[in-house]
Amino acid sequence: MDMKRDYYEDIQLLDSKVLWFWFLMLVAALATFPFIAPTYYVYMANYMAINVIVTIGLNILVGYTGQISLGHAGFFAIGAYGTVMLMSLLHFPFLLALVAAALIAAFFGFILGLPALRLEGPYLAIATLGFGMAITQVIGRWELFGGRMGVEAPALSFFGIPVMTDLGRYFVTATIAFIMVLGARNLMKTRVGRAFIAIRDSDIAAETMGVNLVYYKTLAFAVSAFYTGIAGGLFAFLLGFISPSTFNFILSIYFLAFVIVGGLGSIFGSVMGGIVMTWLLLELDKIQELPLIGGMLISFSENFMTVAGLPNISSIIFGLIIVLLVIFEPLGLYGFWIRTKIYWKTWPF
Amino acid sequence: MNEAFFSVENLCISFGGLMAVDHVSFSVSKGFIFSIIGPNGAGKTTIFNCISGLYKPSSGSIIFQGEDITGLKPHRIATKGIARTFQNIELFSRMTTMENLMLGRHIHMKTGVLSGATFFRRGSRAAKEEIRHREYVEKIIDLLDLQSARNQFVGSLPYGTQKLVELGRALALEPKLLLLDEPSAGMNSEEKQDLVFWIKDIQDELGVTILLIEHDMKMVMDISDRVLAINFGRPIIEGVPDVVQRHPDVLKAYLGEEETIGNAS
Amino acid sequence: MFLQLLLSGIAFGSLYALIALAMVIIYKTSEVPNFGQGEMAMLSTFVAFMLLDTYGHSFFVSFLGALVFAALLGVFLEFVFLRRAKDPNILSLILITLGFEMILYGVASWKWGADQRDLSFPVSDFDLVNIGPAVISYLNLATLLVALVLMVLLFLFFRYTKVGIAMKATQQNPMAARINGIRVNRILSVTWAMSSTIGAMAGMLLAPVATLDPNLMLEPLLKGFASAVLGGMTTLVGAALGGYMLGIIENLFGGYVSLEFKSIVAFGIIVLVLCFRPSGLFAKHYVRKV
Ligand SMILES: Nc1ncnc2c1ncn2[C@@H]1O[C@H](COP(=O)(O)OP(=O)(O)OP(=O)(O)O)[C@@H](O)[C@H]1O
Ligand SMILES: [Mg+2]
Repeated sequence: MDMKRDYYEDIQLLDSKVLWFWFLMLVAALATFPFIAPTYYVYMANYMAINVIVTIGLNILVGYTGQISLGHAGFFAIGAYGTVMLMSLLHFPFLLALVAAALIAAFFGFILGLPALRLEGPYLAIATLGFGMAITQVIGRWELFGGRMGVEAPALSFFGIPVMTDLGRYFVTATIAFIMVLGARNLMKTRVGRAFIAIRDSDIAAETMGVNLVYYKTLAFAVSAFYTGIAGGLFAFLLGFISPSTFNFILSIYFLAFVIVGGLGSIFGSVMGGIVMTWLLLELDKIQELPLIGGMLISFSENFMTVAGLPNISSIIFGLIIVLLVIFEPLGLYGFWIRTKIYWKTWPF
Repeated sequence: MNEAFFSVENLCISFGGLMAVDHVSFSVSKGFIFSIIGPNGAGKTTIFNCISGLYKPSSGSIIFQGEDITGLKPHRIATKGIARTFQNIELFSRMTTMENLMLGRHIHMKTGVLSGATFFRRGSRAAKEEIRHREYVEKIIDLLDLQSARNQFVGSLPYGTQKLVELGRALALEPKLLLLDEPSAGMNSEEKQDLVFWIKDIQDELGVTILLIEHDMKMVMDISDRVLAINFGRPIIEGVPDVVQRHPDVLKAYLGEEETIGNAS
Repeated sequence: MFLQLLLSGIAFGSLYALIALAMVIIYKTSEVPNFGQGEMAMLSTFVAFMLLDTYGHSFFVSFLGALVFAALLGVFLEFVFLRRAKDPNILSLILITLGFEMILYGVASWKWGADQRDLSFPVSDFDLVNIGPAVISYLNLATLLVALVLMVLLFLFFRYTKVGIAMKATQQNPMAARINGIRVNRILSVTWAMSSTIGAMAGMLLAPVATLDPNLMLEPLLKGFASAVLGGMTTLVGAALGGYMLGIIENLFGGYVSLEFKSIVAFGIIVLVLCFRPSGLFAKHYVRKV
């Protein structure tokens, strides 16, 4: 017991050879995947990567700092419109535009965080709800942003290499997502992340221990908005076209659903949440094609509902998932994972 | 000694007409253990809350090392070197003991968002800082015998251990003045003995000045250099333990309290 | 011009006031801002539409049917979901109401699609009454009167009925209420039924001037919250006043400053109020106990 500890191990990402091995395997798998998989799945992977970034961003705010936001679609919109506008109007190169737009989102996050300081749960929820709606309304009314009709994303090139296919976008999106996941993980292991978590667990203890609540609460908003802004910028290119109605209140709740499903306060959970929910979202869009269930749903829709409205079933399912998880498994997939891990104690993780 | 290390002058605060603290003054010399006693609801915790900046006093002043710190924000007061524990434990329950104590190092660290997010090597600034402070915190963990709880989430620790983690977290801030709000509540007699021992250590070896709120009279009389008794927010008497203990109003305050307790149950 | 803006502001304000009242009633007892409020009202309004249009019932039957549906929906949601939360912190309660929001939105969109419908109302939006130099439509006038009548009824309810008094007691101190033999669970059901009914009323009054589709209540939800925040989330009278004030401010802003950005007034007000008077204009402020 008296052996000198290596404290770096406490915070190190990969503290054993075994983990290094798995890590490299993961990187290799991610790099080869798009060459083997059909295009649709590459598209899906891009979508997943983007949603992973948002989920982590929102989790930093909700899961780690304990502040709620119902307006993250607003930051997502700022990222998307910001990137597109900076590129097409001011001819910024892609990466610069992306980061600049995310910084603008972060700035808005900071501003929104300011009144948030004095607010407890319910008020904050209301203020952020208002923010999200205000952003889309402003964008929708402003001709510069293409108004209600929306705008097209410009041609994308990455360090001079034109990126036109899902495959090309995959490398841009997945790389950025990968870096952002690691960044978030590191951030949460160090001083700033600890301050966030401290505020969530006991804000009075945190401030009497020297944590400046004003600064860290707004910082959490800014960091969260930055992540969401990056994701929004990437999203513009995934769709190729953006319009204000994409970024509505419902989208903000979808983001929250991702966080809840993954697990509050867990980066790994957010990665899982983003991936699983994106898959679910895309699968639910074509639920009528499922064998058996699809047919049943269609005939049910014909008799009682409308067939055109059937895709909205995803809204119902997401709502149910939120309610049921909050009631029965507040830790989401991460909690599930932890329990499985305890069950398989002998595993090398 | 020309000027007191820490002093409170004519502190008042009221909540909706109720004077919770009513013209309380006292001063504490450097290195002393100064205790505040009084029956339930006397206003002891409220005094602490004023000192640590959680409440704004309606009048009066709080002077620390010659500087007026009245009404400063809690985090500013922490950076002056004042740390505290809470009567109803306020730990970061979903952090480990180690992380709780590391939060106590917050004001001594610098890592920001960018450097924190991008440490990927042992040699990076954030990693070095992290390692250095973990070493410091480990010493406190050793001092308070918390090794077995080191990597456990504090929410799952027994009550007595949680109290110690709170003490450890306050120490990690390297306070010059330490406020302890009923540190022994909920501890068994063995744990209490250890606690007395550690408090003495903190006073003697770390040279920390301590303000103590405590209901255990034996403990108060054993370790305090001076004692202030209050009731209904008003000071009764301040002096060395023996004198305070025998003061008729103090006896009455405590007896009176027992009577009301007897009536209520 | 000014009077005209004021008048229609008040008419809209009374809708906001109703929504805000619906929210505050729930907030005071369940301590959760109900983000499902808008969708509950939207669905009830669709039920009225269905009874009226698809089944051809008379207006009043449909109207009453929708109110009964709203009451049952409120009781159902509270009983089936909200009450199941194990350790109900504010975050999980908010999330549950967001879950309702999604479910109800999904159900309405599935059943009625995105088509815009008309809820035919016996009172016209086009026939106008003169009030001094300003005019107001019969519909707006009806809205105004219905809201007023409802508020008076609410006031009488809380003042003179046994249930109302018990509700007030529960809101002030649930523990004490329980000890005094008030069945808090039953009070919760009544609260949700009432709130949902008031919301539905607002939805049905709004539908003829807006268009009836599943997005009907998205913006009004925000307006309701803005009103409640403006007046204070913990006072019924405050919330109602907040609704009228918001309606007026919004209309004046639209008339004199910018019609384009009229709809962000609500957000601006939320932010301003929260910055300078977080507990609202008409509620008392209290210090958090440590
Ligand atoms: N935030 C507050 N709002 C209203 N009243 C308060 C607040 N904080 C404290 N009080 C009141 O001030 C009085 C003193 O409380 P305080 O907690 O300081 O007592 P105490 O001496 O610490 O008692 P105990 O020994 O029970 O801890 C009590 O009557 C309490 O109810
Ligand atoms: Mg106390």
